[in-house]
Amino acid sequence: MSTPSDALSCGHSLADLSEYLDTGQIGDPGHLAECPECQSGLASLRRLAALGNELLDADTAAAGSGSDDWMKTILGNLRLELRPGRSIPLRADTPGDVLTETEGSVSALIRSVADSLPGAAAGKCRLYGDLTEPGAPITVGVELAVVYGHPLEQRAATLRQELATVLSRQTELNITAIDVTITDVLEPRNPGPGAPAAGAPVAGAPAPTVGPGGPPTPQEKP
Amino acid sequence: MTEPLSPGDGTHAPDAAALAAELQSVIEAVAGVTAVYPARPLWQTIAGAARSAVTGEARSRVDVASSDTGRPVTAVKVRIGVSGAHPAPHVARAVAAAVRQHLSPHPVTVQVGIVQIGSEEAADASGAQEM
Repeated sequence: MSTPSDALSCGHSLADLSEYLDTGQIGDPGHLAECPECQSGLASLRRLAALGNELLDADTAAAGSGSDDWMKTILGNLRLELRPGRSIPLRADTPGDVLTETEGSVSALIRSVADSLPGAAAGKCRLYGDLTEPGAPITVGVELAVVYGHPLEQRAATLRQELATVLSRQTELNITAIDVTITDVLEPRNPGPGAPAAGAPVAGAPAPTVGPGGPPTPQEKP
Repeated sequence: MTEPLSPGDGTHAPDAAALAAELQSVIEAVAGVTAVYPARPLWQTIAGAARSAVTGEARSRVDVASSDTGRPVTAVKVRIGVSGAHPAPHVARAVAAAVRQHLSPHPVTVQVGIVQIGSEEAADASGAQEM
């Protein structure tokens, strides 16, 4: 059973969801169809599992090899971000209507965009600023773990562009900056002949930060 | 100003339950809506959930409220998931408009909370752009 600090707002934990993915069993399966937080958690865990498979396929540092702090960090952030969080107001056509997005839904969207980059997994995905005030300046902060061999700056630039596009479509937030930080580069255990030359950043090296920077204009989209 | 919804317990009188089911169908038919979740999280509706478990009656996913018994619905609350292929703010407004149209001519306030945003578009964009 999960501890209170482990539990999502619905009472389930990432451990419950992980067990469900492994075994197909959970105490109240009907709950999963009713809980957006659990559904987002399951989606994130599936993407993490896919990245784990990529690591294994590439014969790089495997999750669980003793150097899996990056995975623990990701799971820790995921646990926080699955909560609904603050309510983000949306413009209503009719006075009196209250239309909102949850902070959790936007964080999950940011995470899914970041996770969709090949060889990358989102660590921390945060929205900084007063989300409850329409038009208030908001900064997006994303931390990434990237599998060794993938171009870091290109990953970060692509992520910034994709996030700017997706967030302008799916929210009414005034995004003034998107900061992307590569916090982990997952080191190969036995680099193959096709691996990048020595000297490329590896885990433990200073983490490059790309940003702060404003969201790219549409012209910057490749 | 929106009238606060009366605290719900996830269950409704039979006519209200029928209306809630109707509204759920209306909302599900709005382009971009992928899911309708219980309007109140489980921890807020634990009594209703327990009652549903005993009676086998499904919990309503749309909260409807009226100011007095027998009066028309004055407020509707719903939580939805939306597709990444549609702009979420537009979907929220479309849901409010659909609810209002369904209950017309009675005035009603609508609360729409988006609790999940699909990432189909993001996935498509990433897949199309090999790096």
